[in-house]
Amino acid sequence: MDRRSPAFTVFVYAMALLLALVILAPMAWLFIMSISPAADLSARPLRWWPEEPDFSRYRALFSLAQNSIGAGFISALWNSLRVAGMATIAAIALAVPAAWASSRVPRVGWSLGLVVASYMLPPVALSVPLYMGLAHFGMLNNVFGLAIVYLTILAPFTTWLLRSGFDLIPKEIEAAAAIDGARLDQALRIVVLPLMAPVIATAALFAFLLAWDEFFYALLFTSNEQAKTITVALADLAGGRVSDYGLIAAAGVVAALPPVLIGLVMQRALISGLTAGGVKG
Amino acid sequence: MTSTRLTTRGWLMMLPLLAVMVLVIGWPFVQTVHYSFTDARLAGTGGTYVGLHNYQRVVNSPAFWSSFRLTAEFALISVTIELVLGVAAALLLNQELVGRNVLRGLMILPWALPTVVNGTLWRLIYNPEYGALNAALSQLGLIESYRSWLGEPGTALAALIVADAWKNFPLVALIALAALQAVPRDIRTAAMVDGAGAWARFRFIFVPYLVGPLTVAIVLRLIEAFKVFDIIWIMTRGGPANSTRSLSILVYQEAFSFQRAGTGSSLALIVTLIVMLLALAYAGIMRRSAGGGI
Amino acid sequence: MSALDLKGISKSFGRLPTLAGIDLTLDSGEFLVLLGASGCGKSTLLSIIAGLLDPTDGKVEIAGRDVTRVAPKDRDIAMVFQSYALYPSLSVARNIGFGLEMRGASKAARREAVNRAAEILQISHLLDRKPAALSGGQRQRVAIGRALVREPKLFLFDEPLSNLDAKLRMEMRSELKRLHQMLAATIVYVTHDQIEAMTLATRIAVMRDGRIEQLGTPDEIYNCPATSFVAEFVGAPPMNLIRARAEGGALHVAGAPQPLPLPPEHTGAGLKAEVLLGIRPEALRLVDANGLMPVDVDLVEFTGPEQVVDTRFAGQRLTAILPPERRVAPGSRIAFRWPPERIHLFDAETRRRV
Ligand SMILES: Nc1ncnc2c1ncn2[C@@H]1O[C@H](COP(=O)(O)OP(=O)(O)O)[C@@H](O)[C@H]1O
Ligand SMILES: [Mg+2]
Repeated sequence: MDRRSPAFTVFVYAMALLLALVILAPMAWLFIMSISPAADLSARPLRWWPEEPDFSRYRALFSLAQNSIGAGFISALWNSLRVAGMATIAAIALAVPAAWASSRVPRVGWSLGLVVASYMLPPVALSVPLYMGLAHFGMLNNVFGLAIVYLTILAPFTTWLLRSGFDLIPKEIEAAAAIDGARLDQALRIVVLPLMAPVIATAALFAFLLAWDEFFYALLFTSNEQAKTITVALADLAGGRVSDYGLIAAAGVVAALPPVLIGLVMQRALISGLTAGGVKG
Repeated sequence: MTSTRLTTRGWLMMLPLLAVMVLVIGWPFVQTVHYSFTDARLAGTGGTYVGLHNYQRVVNSPAFWSSFRLTAEFALISVTIELVLGVAAALLLNQELVGRNVLRGLMILPWALPTVVNGTLWRLIYNPEYGALNAALSQLGLIESYRSWLGEPGTALAALIVADAWKNFPLVALIALAALQAVPRDIRTAAMVDGAGAWARFRFIFVPYLVGPLTVAIVLRLIEAFKVFDIIWIMTRGGPANSTRSLSILVYQEAFSFQRAGTGSSLALIVTLIVMLLALAYAGIMRRSAGGGI
Repeated sequence: MSALDLKGISKSFGRLPTLAGIDLTLDSGEFLVLLGASGCGKSTLLSIIAGLLDPTDGKVEIAGRDVTRVAPKDRDIAMVFQSYALYPSLSVARNIGFGLEMRGASKAARREAVNRAAEILQISHLLDRKPAALSGGQRQRVAIGRALVREPKLFLFDEPLSNLDAKLRMEMRSELKRLHQMLAATIVYVTHDQIEAMTLATRIAVMRDGRIEQLGTPDEIYNCPATSFVAEFVGAPPMNLIRARAEGGALHVAGAPQPLPLPPEHTGAGLKAEVLLGIRPEALRLVDANGLMPVDVDLVEFTGPEQVVDTRFAGQRLTAILPPERRVAPGSRIAFRWPPERIHLFDAETRRRV
């Protein structure tokens, strides 16, 4: 780096501070709202920091009492966890063999192009038949049905990520295993998949985040606590009769917590994955 | 191994994925095409063939064109803002700076925040009575009375764009930063030795490295923005007075609120066509810069 | 019975022919080196022998059995790759024993075989490590060990030494030679390094553009190259090739003061053609300034045991390796002679030996 003038250094730090502020302020405010008493939030002039932090909303959200807001919220969290978990596992299970094939078998590779291209389809182009199909099989408002629908998003995406992982593993290793007498499943299980573990983990995390964030299909295909996910529950809360903005904010904080924690913990892998392909909107 | 056996094996490994994709994408898409030529209703009634009638209705409806314009505006403006802020932030993070890694780590946060939470967050900030934006602006003396940012057609779109750009510019910044850091040290040093000024260095050394990855990122973002549904639904539901009704929201209303599966499908396919054109542009760019980008 | 028979092996990738009709027979205990420039199809041929690729045409027989359609694991071969292709997540011991493990050998048998191979290769102290914790030379030994324990009918090596530095390469070369003699193994070995080929091989197949240009012992390849290509490819610096015209029992080089004598076996015969006169740099001897072949010295490189002298003879380049005693000065005019039997003649058109 070249030597910088003091003025430029000051400018750089000022801008860095501004950037940090721009990024942190909205999220910080969400959290502050969630612990500010309702009176503080409706005060004019607005009180920017609560005199007395108020954690009652979190208690309310996690209260187990029948028909309380908490019961609905907890079931939504549980539904999100189940749907995202199942869809992720299914997507990885489909993606591993397909990614192997598209990386290793020349005459099969083109079909992955087709699958990945489907990622470009807007969900609205599939929603009506998916709705009718789920209705036909009685799977509307059902976590399994929603998980299956989520495969439209997760499976192409994870396959594509895993394929680039396989591409990085030298073919010679599999050739050596084949000469050593390993069947394909043995070669994959003993030799190749252990090398793929970090890539598979990253793909699974991405897939989980995508599923956790999904809103459109969940809005269309779920209607009550049986299957409603956290995103729909939060949208209901924010758009509904609730007048305590602190409660909405607290729900937002809880909904954001898993992905944000994953994001922070997996920073390195996520950043390299993101920048490798410029993925996810 | 014989190559035909290898190919058979490949197809066997590919088969589960392909089967599921045909089931959840291929078949529904074909159905959508089918419905788009019928007067089917969501409840399952109707379904007689009506030819191009649905498409004619869509193309002749002012609602479609206003949604189209709105969506294009939303996509172009937010993506432009994301590009400018993203590159600026990347240039900043490319400077030597105490705490640079922490700052870069923070950039992941808006990206990780679920879109629905982001929409909720900004909806609270824009709240006409208790929102932080009104409070801050009036405490600073910039406005006299509180405004309904999301409730006025004049500001709703801008408010949406700010929320969307805030969530997405850090991603562009991270991509741009990775591209900047791919510039070999030797080249930077050589340019410095040659006496290139800051602008010349940016233009002739960094920009060539940025173009490939950023073009990719921008086209992908444009495609995403054209499909926009979530954040608008959360913040305005397409209002006020349909002033933020994006194409996807229009499809939703047509197919699910009014239960007109036929017109909804033809509308959805027109949206698909637009996105496909963007995707084709993307494929063209990828082919042209093959090996160039990251 | 021959250890390996290749009959009319051809291979095309799409429309591009990579191998065109390879025929080859290898006796048990031979060390065959496939020598050729990068891209000439050596690895492709080795992969076909291993069963990793199908030939477009032709037959592969190992120990008299047609294995053209047999899976690699059933061909009774072992292969060492240029990149070593060790299994990164397995220990060195398990890497070496993997082939036996897959074939269901008992744990005790595996341990014994692994220990024996490790002892031969002097890597017993590394058995518990992972490949990532090994140096290049050690990885190479593990890769060889993995091939050894299987005691296959045929060993295949694909440029095994090219990732090693010069000193290790020499060490491993002698090691391989020692192993070959000790095990009496049959080996097909791919390299683009002619010194490796000359030192290791019992026979060399010089390949070019998917064909075998010449198949012979190192001695034949060096002393009796079948084509000018082989002549140039083997030997460093390469053989000098001088355009000349054979006529009236002598060689006429345009611009040279006097014709050059033909080698003994050619004089008398009515040879009359455009030819390439081949002389190895090390065959040339220094004589007084007005000898048969007067040359102008351009450049002299003194390497210690010898001096490499770049000259021009009648406008054509000529390199000589001379003993260091009589130092030659750049810019001076000297002359060469050579033992008549060390001259090679190639048809200028077909490039084949005449
Ligand atoms: N899988 C393949 N597909 C297409 N062309 C190939 C493939 N493998 C090798 N080739 C081509 O065949 C030729 C010979 O390759 P190879 O056998 O690896 O050469 P060598 O080992 O002698 O360097 C090269 O020109 C290469 O481009
Ligand atoms: Mg090779």
